[in-house]
Amino acid sequence: MAEPVIETKALRRTFGSFTAVNDLDLVVERRQFYGFLGPNGAGKSTTIRMLTGLLRSTSGSIRVLGRDLETDSLEVKRRIGVVPEGLALFERLTGAQLLNFCGRMYGLDRTMAAQRTTELLEFMNLADSSDKLVADYSHGMKKKMALAAAVIHGPEILFLDEPFEGVDAIASTTLKRLLQRFISRGGTVFLTSHVLEVVERLCSHIGIIQNGKLVASGSLDELRAGVKIEGHDHSPLTLEEIFLQVVGGARQSEEEVLSWL
Amino acid sequence: MNGETQRLLLLLQVRGQLFVNSLRRPNRRVELVVQGVGMISACVFVLALAAGVFTATLTALRNSQSWILGLLLWAIFLVWQFATMLIEGYSPGINFREIARYPVSFGGYYVLNCVYGLTDPAAAAGTLWLLCMWIAVLVQTPRWAPGAAAVLVVFVVFNIFCNRLIAGLLERFQSTRKGRERMAVVLLLIMLAPQLIQFAGLNWRRAPGALPGRSALLRFTALNDLSPPGAALQAIVGSGNTRLFAALLLVGFLIIGGLILRVQSRTVYLGELHSDEQRARRDVKVPLGWKIPLLDDTVSTVLEKELRYLRQNTRLLLQIVYPMIIFAVFFSGRGPGQRFLASTHSSSAGLLGIMAGLLSLSIANLCYNNFGLDRDGFGRWLLAPVKMQKVLLAKNIAHAGPFLLMYTLICGLLLAGSRVSPLQAATVTVSFLTVILVQVGAGNLFSVYWPKNIDLTRMSSRTVSAAAGYAALLVIAPVGILGGLIAMTAIYLSLPWLPLVAATVIFCVAIPLYFVALDRTAVYIDHHLEEIEQALNK
Repeated sequence: MAEPVIETKALRRTFGSFTAVNDLDLVVERRQFYGFLGPNGAGKSTTIRMLTGLLRSTSGSIRVLGRDLETDSLEVKRRIGVVPEGLALFERLTGAQLLNFCGRMYGLDRTMAAQRTTELLEFMNLADSSDKLVADYSHGMKKKMALAAAVIHGPEILFLDEPFEGVDAIASTTLKRLLQRFISRGGTVFLTSHVLEVVERLCSHIGIIQNGKLVASGSLDELRAGVKIEGHDHSPLTLEEIFLQVVGGARQSEEEVLSWL
Repeated sequence: MNGETQRLLLLLQVRGQLFVNSLRRPNRRVELVVQGVGMISACVFVLALAAGVFTATLTALRNSQSWILGLLLWAIFLVWQFATMLIEGYSPGINFREIARYPVSFGGYYVLNCVYGLTDPAAAAGTLWLLCMWIAVLVQTPRWAPGAAAVLVVFVVFNIFCNRLIAGLLERFQSTRKGRERMAVVLLLIMLAPQLIQFAGLNWRRAPGALPGRSALLRFTALNDLSPPGAALQAIVGSGNTRLFAALLLVGFLIIGGLILRVQSRTVYLGELHSDEQRARRDVKVPLGWKIPLLDDTVSTVLEKELRYLRQNTRLLLQIVYPMIIFAVFFSGRGPGQRFLASTHSSSAGLLGIMAGLLSLSIANLCYNNFGLDRDGFGRWLLAPVKMQKVLLAKNIAHAGPFLLMYTLICGLLLAGSRVSPLQAATVTVSFLTVILVQVGAGNLFSVYWPKNIDLTRMSSRTVSAAAGYAALLVIAPVGILGGLIAMTAIYLSLPWLPLVAATVIFCVAIPLYFVALDRTAVYIDHHLEEIEQALNK
């Protein structure tokens, strides 16, 4: 078995009486491209926020890169990169200033931070807008900026919360290129997305969460082997079919709902 | 009920819902209470003014002083038009441009736009005051009442037209980020202008001939009859042809206002949109980040970010340098400021003390809400592998820096002119540093107890939460009392060096306390991450 880089045990998070994440046991190994799926409100973002130190867990343990997140959070943060749900960008800095700032916050020296900033702006096709305030960027440009900010220090794991949401095809291609390159060089990606086609194409492993519990996990082939759909022909199941089967989203026939439409 | 009426009711209902929703403050009871007290106070203020308008009108009519009515009409007109700009945001509203997206005819859109104008708080207050004025006319001079009713109704409608025109212009400005920020700066200057004029006026009064010509003022008064409030006044109290002419003039204003509003509404209805311009640049020039001597890399980096933020925010910059503007305006020319400066050493030391006090109070605008400008970016502090204490320290240095600089400048000027003795300067300086340290230390805690998103594009968006503003009293009052006691003891015992010694001792005690506050703030952030993030994203 390869080295596990993300490991949670009985991870739990409650908000008042609502349990967002319920005894989650998760293992992600190095060089895996892990897609974390689930319907809206299933607990994906809460999980990723806990894994990255943006939210405290109610109980349970989190180990990232072999270190306890609770006791060794600074060292963990130094070695991971995160694109959080809200992107967490200082929008009143220019693109170049923001990347430079992020690089230095992760301990890069001034020269290296400036150099990597230049390279990333070129790679992300943001060079023309490098002196514009991030507040004036389009949504897709902000996503690219957030990803650039997450990788500038050369992390070992990338946590991405919905990186492809609201991104056009060109920006999406740039992001995918960067992620594939990251994996090929030994990185690990933990990604949540609603775009199942992208997850199916990019991810080597998939976990499906529902009502705060992990209900399926494994490679796409392992998931296919574990799911049986009555009346399905012999063609391989798509991720969408597996997902709907696992979370029970295909219960109502089209005739039953919105009859007026 | 026809479609337009239904839409109007729906619109009013939505506005009501927005208002109720704006009161929702999970875990923020203090804020809610403060907001509630503020609203009640505003209502009481409006009602008191209504009683004042009634009494003033009654007295004016009784004593045949119709010019008082003219003043009241002008005041109502100005409040109605300008208060909208200043309190926009206190009253959660709808961007009316959005209404054009729904299946509403242009006529319906125009009517909705006008009637919606009546739901504005300033409009409600203005209408109430005009009603009080009419009741006073009815009581004192009943024969004028029917005519006055018609005139005041026309005046109300004219005000609504003007108000909606201004709201339309504001929406147009606010469709771009730059426009929103420039607008906020202009509005801040409008708010500050009366104070500056008042200070400057103290100087001008002493300089013969420097005041703007009195004749110009008289010419303006003569033209008043041709203005909307002046025309409304003459249409009520004038006689014969004057009255008829004034009434026709007022109707003319109404028609012109209505037509301009129609043109503006038509443009918006047809979907004219502005957005931030896109401008392409070729070269990527990434300068090296700052390295500030004596500070470690993380603190330097955060400090650079904070100072860049300050530099880009004209409104905040204006608030920071405002004490210096007051200093410059008050002590330029030949006014009392100069006489104050020219007097004895002790009064100049008092002046230094006053400026130090003003500066140490002004810093609250920044340091009581350290994360107010970060909004979404707050998460970045949590993602980065840095201790929150360093982030807070850098923010404190960035916020205190400009104030220390201003103080140094003022103190230097007074010392250079031998206005204050070195002992007095040293006493005030150490006291100033102590208060600044206490302010930023307490500010760190207030910033996380009551975080507030600062929207620089909204004039009404305060830089600190109301709760933090009130909590500041708990910091300032004891410091002031302690300072006062020490000063009185020094005077009583004739020990001029006592305040300096006492200030130095307190400063030495304040330093470790500051670091304790820093640690407590970091721990609090760690335990209340999502709460703070939520408040900053509201």
